[in-house]
Amino acid sequence: MDFTLSEEHQMFRSMFRDFAQKEVAPLAQTTDHEEKPPLEILKKMAEQGFLGATFPEKYGGSELDNLGYCFLMEEMAGACMSTALTLHVHLGLAGNTILREGTEAQKEKYLPDMAEGTKLGAFALTEPEAGSDAAAIRTVAVKKGDEYILTGNKLWVTNAGIADIFIVFAKTDPQAGARGISAFIVEKSFPGFKVGRRERLLGLRGVVCNPIYLEECRVPAENLLGQEGEGFKIAMRALDYARLGTAAMCLGLAEAALREGSRYATERSQFGGPIALKQAIQNYVAESAIKIEALRHLVEYTAWLADKGERFTKEAAMAKAFGGEIVRWVADRMLQVHGGYGYMREYTIERIYRDARALPIIEGTTEIQRFIVASDIFSGYGLKIKP
Amino acid sequence: MRVIVPIKQIRDPRGVKADPRRQQVTLEEAELVINPTDRNALEEALVLKDKLGAKVTVISIGGPEVEDSIREAWACGADEGILLSDELLAKADFRGAALALAKAIQKLGDFDLIIAGAMAADTCQGQLGPRLAAALDIPCVNDVYRILEVSGGKARVIRGWDEKFLEVEVELPAVLCIAPGANVPRLPHGARIMNSYQWEMPVWKASDLGLSEEDLRPGVEERGLSFPPERVRGRVSRGSPEDLARELVSFLRERHLI
Amino acid sequence: MDFSFSKEHQMLRRMAREFAEREVLPIAKAIDEEHRVPMDVVKKAAELGLLGVPFPQKYGGMGAGEIGYCIVAEELGKVSSSFATIIGAHIGIGAMAIYLGGNEEQKKKYLTPLARGEKIAAFALTEAGAGSDAAAIKTRAVRDGNYFILNGTKQFITNGDIADIITVMAVTDPSLGPRGGITAFIVEREYPGVRIGKLEDKMGIRGSSTAEIILEDVRVPKENILGPFGAGFIVFMQSLDMGRLTLGAACLGGAQTALRMAMEWAAMREQFGEPIAHKQSIQWMIAELATEIEALRSLVYRTAWLVDTRQPFTRYAAMCKMYGSEVASKAVNIALQIYGAMGYSRDFVVELMYRDAKIAEIYEGTNEIQRIVIAENLFRDFGVRIRP
Repeated sequence: MDFTLSEEHQMFRSMFRDFAQKEVAPLAQTTDHEEKPPLEILKKMAEQGFLGATFPEKYGGSELDNLGYCFLMEEMAGACMSTALTLHVHLGLAGNTILREGTEAQKEKYLPDMAEGTKLGAFALTEPEAGSDAAAIRTVAVKKGDEYILTGNKLWVTNAGIADIFIVFAKTDPQAGARGISAFIVEKSFPGFKVGRRERLLGLRGVVCNPIYLEECRVPAENLLGQEGEGFKIAMRALDYARLGTAAMCLGLAEAALREGSRYATERSQFGGPIALKQAIQNYVAESAIKIEALRHLVEYTAWLADKGERFTKEAAMAKAFGGEIVRWVADRMLQVHGGYGYMREYTIERIYRDARALPIIEGTTEIQRFIVASDIFSGYGLKIKP
Repeated sequence: MRVIVPIKQIRDPRGVKADPRRQQVTLEEAELVINPTDRNALEEALVLKDKLGAKVTVISIGGPEVEDSIREAWACGADEGILLSDELLAKADFRGAALALAKAIQKLGDFDLIIAGAMAADTCQGQLGPRLAAALDIPCVNDVYRILEVSGGKARVIRGWDEKFLEVEVELPAVLCIAPGANVPRLPHGARIMNSYQWEMPVWKASDLGLSEEDLRPGVEERGLSFPPERVRGRVSRGSPEDLARELVSFLRERHLI
Repeated sequence: MDFSFSKEHQMLRRMAREFAEREVLPIAKAIDEEHRVPMDVVKKAAELGLLGVPFPQKYGGMGAGEIGYCIVAEELGKVSSSFATIIGAHIGIGAMAIYLGGNEEQKKKYLTPLARGEKIAAFALTEAGAGSDAAAIKTRAVRDGNYFILNGTKQFITNGDIADIITVMAVTDPSLGPRGGITAFIVEREYPGVRIGKLEDKMGIRGSSTAEIILEDVRVPKENILGPFGAGFIVFMQSLDMGRLTLGAACLGGAQTALRMAMEWAAMREQFGEPIAHKQSIQWMIAELATEIEALRSLVYRTAWLVDTRQPFTRYAAMCKMYGSEVASKAVNIALQIYGAMGYSRDFVVELMYRDAKIAEIYEGTNEIQRIVIAENLFRDFGVRIRP
């Protein structure tokens, strides 16, 4: 068992960290306070090749593997969670889904623009009646000649307000439940496609998240992703990989929280010395560090499984479940370390606290992740459980 | 000037539980409160106290627990409260209650106005005001929204009539029945609340009012209850008018209604 | 053992609840979004006596005791943490300090208008270098004939921007430390040299004011010394004790609202073919939370009863604050999780409650300080003297 990172991975990690600290972190407070999407940063990321990092070189990428992607997410989240999530949905969810499931023609058509950042990606699955129960979506897709006509509403579409390319899930066979779902690549410019009002959020305030409305939206038949009826599997595969990236963001954000709290504890003096001398503070810091370390190993191990081509659904769910819960816990304790200052908007930890609260919910709530893990374990005993 | 406000203690309609499946209504868990329009009536009386120095007497009928509502009305600013209570009075229906209240009011002596709520929120009969006026042989104005002036033995009020408002002048003494929403009833001041149980409340029995069991026999018999047909649960959406309109159109299209 | 509230207290609760629903609830979200203090609603509360709940009627108060005050705090806490904070700082520590430490003249002159809500109170202890370590304050009070000249800067003062009467802790003898060296003063906002500095931009309770108060050569008459000279530490410790209890009551209110909202949503929201209330994950969260809220309720009102019957209550008041704030935080966290993505949206009130709740674990003595107070109080019985 060799825990050392390859030189290539070390190089990627340094590059990501430098960029995050130099270009992303200084703008994080502004991004949050002004609720501005980090478009300038995305441009710079494009120049660095981050926006298509996982793509093959012919599409403008560097074939970044899952572990490398985790480092990218970790470092970006540690600097600015809004920026990290924007990048993740664009690349990890939208881009990678086209990469994984698309035909050569589809990849040729869309990936280079996504890598250059001229077109950003989004992923539209959730609906008003279909949150955790993704199979319950109602958006329909009717084949008409050489087009599909899509009708329905999607909610909580991260990047919707700034994206051009959407992976949209709709039922080509509404009677067939999950097996009636198909996946489509939908461009904002297609007739019948509308983006709704931007959501106002507790945290992730630099993220642009909107509902989208498909009003008999005309999608060319060649934009069907995979086969009809494969949509649910495509979505689940996409989410498996994305989950891993999200767990890495939890790691990065938690580490940022711990850095803020530990540093503050050494600088703030009360009762004749730094508060780091108080055992209660030491306990918070130690517990945080322990949880973060455990998460790191879980994330890296899961990435290794994924890179080896082995099944990793359960581990990804574990990493996301654990990551979501501990990032919230760590952010909470580290805010507590800051005392009254932690509640003031000038302090970084205040933003981290609000950002962290999204993680137990997005990309599958902690409850859903637990179900996936339990389901995997019980299927080993021959029992199939339902959510 | 003396103003009398009859109030009714009821179960808070918001706390009443209805179970259509078992065809059952549970009242006991709902809080006992002053009937909402009676609070509007009390508010009108208290305004007259503030403006014209009127003396406000609150009177109610029922079991011993009704005392709490009278004391609450006192806490809001009423000058005195009287409870009409014994076994017979506790079970009186609106006919018996109107009779008992009329007798009690006669016992109190001269008065200028009786200001009552237009309707009780539990029985929804609206009979008390007119019945009281008939028993006392004085005019009754229903659905009053505003009391404009009380002077020279007359009251000028605004009342609702179909879709209009009418200005009415009535000779005193009279009964005014206040419409729901006519005003915003004031809340009792905290210090008065804390003092509201410090005074002795007169309690009059049926015999004090010269009423017999026969007088107070209920005239209406409740035979049972049934429920309206169950409605399908709807869905709550939010967003800008444009977003909601789109969502509604999608919703209707999905169901092939348009 | 009678667990029922008196009739008067029941009536008070109905009044407080109706006031909260009628006047405070409709503006709860707006004051957060607009970052403003609803002085018009504070005035309406004053008109009902809600700014003087525990104080005797002879000082313009309601005479409802600590039980009555906890009831009001709970009902306000159900509807808006910001509003509960304004009232809490005014009654619970600001005016309370004058009630506990003031002489008859001071109570007549200052407590009465505060209890009537004609003036607003604040409690100025914290400084940039003195948070949990309250004894480390540096604001200085130097005698000058019949006056004391005050110089210093107070930080994070609730109601700072709206207060007329400020109880200020200052060092009168640097050589003595907290025992004998700190004195409490009643300072009027209008005294020359009193200036409001920075208005804090907070994560939550944005409908309340948190400000820096700067004192530059403020002349305070010696008649305004609150409590014995040099005994300021005791005055503020006693005030904080009382304030802790009622903060616990406000947290009880907030936790109940969060629980109710979580349940309403779980009963309505369907996923996988049925309301999510059918999921055991949800049921466990609700059952455990409801149990903790019941425990908190008993703790709060029993402690209020201890105060009203003049029994020792310091340890329990600290428990109320510590446990109350943690239960409230847990409650809003559960509510947000049950609401899912909707809970994260500023269109719904759950995220407002989430942001508001956190501060209760920090102000009026962090929960770390509360634990020290409780442990110190307990270990005394075992002959061990604990220091922070």
